[in-house]
Amino acid sequence: MSSSPLASATSGKRVLSGPAIAGLALAALLAVALPAFTTGYVIYIANLLLVFVVLCLGLHVVIGENGQFSMAHAAFYGIGIYASALANRAVDLPYPFAMLFGALVAGIVGLFIGALALRMRDIYLALATFAFGEAMQWVFANWDSVTNGPNGLRISPARFGPLEILSDKQAYPFVLFFCLLMIGVTVAISRSRLGRSFRAVRESEVAAMAMGIDVRRTRVVAFGLSAAIAGFAGGMFGLFQTFIHPDSLGFQTTILVLTMVVVGGLGSIAGAIGGAIVFGLISEVLRQAPQYQEIIYGGILILFMMYAPRGLFVFIGDRIREVRHGR
Amino acid sequence: MDLQLALIFLQQGIASGLVSGSVYALLALAIVIIFKTSDVPNFAQGEVFMAAGYVALYLFVFQQMPIWVVLPATLLAAFLAMALFRRVVLDQVAKSAKDLVYLVIATLGLSYVLKGLVRRTGFGDTPRSFPALVPTDSVMIGQASVTLLDLAIFGTAVAVMAAFFWMFNYTKTGRAMRAVGMNPKAAQLVGVDLRRCHMLIWGLSGVISAIAALLISPKILMTADMGSIVMLAFAAAIVGGFSSLPGAVVGGFIIGIVENMVGLFISSRAIVLAPFLAILIVLVLRPQGLFGGKLTIKKV
Repeated sequence: MSSSPLASATSGKRVLSGPAIAGLALAALLAVALPAFTTGYVIYIANLLLVFVVLCLGLHVVIGENGQFSMAHAAFYGIGIYASALANRAVDLPYPFAMLFGALVAGIVGLFIGALALRMRDIYLALATFAFGEAMQWVFANWDSVTNGPNGLRISPARFGPLEILSDKQAYPFVLFFCLLMIGVTVAISRSRLGRSFRAVRESEVAAMAMGIDVRRTRVVAFGLSAAIAGFAGGMFGLFQTFIHPDSLGFQTTILVLTMVVVGGLGSIAGAIGGAIVFGLISEVLRQAPQYQEIIYGGILILFMMYAPRGLFVFIGDRIREVRHGR
Repeated sequence: MDLQLALIFLQQGIASGLVSGSVYALLALAIVIIFKTSDVPNFAQGEVFMAAGYVALYLFVFQQMPIWVVLPATLLAAFLAMALFRRVVLDQVAKSAKDLVYLVIATLGLSYVLKGLVRRTGFGDTPRSFPALVPTDSVMIGQASVTLLDLAIFGTAVAVMAAFFWMFNYTKTGRAMRAVGMNPKAAQLVGVDLRRCHMLIWGLSGVISAIAALLISPKILMTADMGSIVMLAFAAAIVGGFSSLPGAVVGGFIIGIVENMVGLFISSRAIVLAPFLAILIVLVLRPQGLFGGKLTIKKV
């Protein structure tokens, strides 16, 4: 194994593994057919899962591709939600403009945090982004004139020209479309020259520098892009939600997203997507037993770190291979 | 605000700050000794502190055990829990993954499990305080009013820190711990049992957290979320450079005083924000902290 633990998790070429492709295909089929045979609540959960998929992609770009630890993604997500909701209220334009605005604001804040992050790494970076996340939640809860403070903000319905989205079912095709779009964007980033330089910096800054990569710029850009994707997820949230409360934008959410990415497998796009869906469903089931929720959550994190640090899908793949080879 | 009042506030802020700061200093110390030897920021430290408080509360209030049983039993429970976590969980994580991120995430997992377990017991549903073992009569120091309990907290915390420094600097075990912090492989070569040493350090860190919990819990309402106080300890550790023991202690006092000053002079609403701002400002301006040495960057 090379010096970085993530090295074997992804190489540029092998973004998707066999079982992951099968899983994704099945998920895609289910996703398209979903509204035909389910109730509003299931659609609502599906919408939320798709938003979390995008949020996981955002975190993936900075942790998985670039190897920088961020514990502030709930904050970027929140910035995206508030910025797109306020933009949607302020101007009479189709909703995608509001979403882009949310992504832009989150991205700019992300660039700023990324620039600060240049001065620190590892644990210091984790703590600084954590502190930033907590500070942002405080801002959401106390900047009364803009965010309506602890009372939460009402999000007016999204509009696409004459079409006004009033139900989860109506919003679903749009949410699905934007989710697929962001998957496409993330894959494109990952395969581009930029994505390769992200990974080069992750593996060895010195080697990357020797190859002529501007390490500082790469790290800042990774942060900005990651935050912009998280902000975009915030805009997607506004497609079907009518209300946002600062309580839902705290450390819990950051940990939820981190858990999803980890369960799926750090360093792979398919892992981030699969982790969001699998763990999203798990936490939905756990809602039935709220008194055990935290224990099971923590237990899953610990067990994965102990026995399957490279994620659920690699773990299953390895077991299948073992059985095939008769071990 | 006139000068006279400002002076009284200043004295009160320093006195109260030293008291709460001594508890933050203890927790920061518990975080830093682990970080120094394992390179892991233990995000479960606050929950270990919280759970220890509840163990003591359960034994003392619900089981009516005498205090001379409750205190050692609580410290022992904290020691065993942390040592076992290190031995059973983290050794396995370290075996299956090379990167530190995975160890950090495992500690996040522990924090959730502990919080969930305490909530599950239901003791946290009604916030209560641990009965004070020392009278809470007020005494005046200068123009600041503090209680006897405050003085006991401060005195105990300082005594515990002194004992720990003595152990860390002058005993064989302490030397072994410092050696592991400097270079684990070399320490192993000269005969330090790494596994045992790590267990001991995590256990001791648990004991220090438990002492902090016993000290502060008569003064606050205990809930399953009281572990969030650990943010102030993280802030203290960062101010102190994160790998310096004296730095952690001084950082604890600085954070305690700053927190009280912010509360007295600015607003109580801003208190919550103060530790995060302190972390951000210190990390941005001087990432190695006030006491940390030169920042070294791993090249490969």
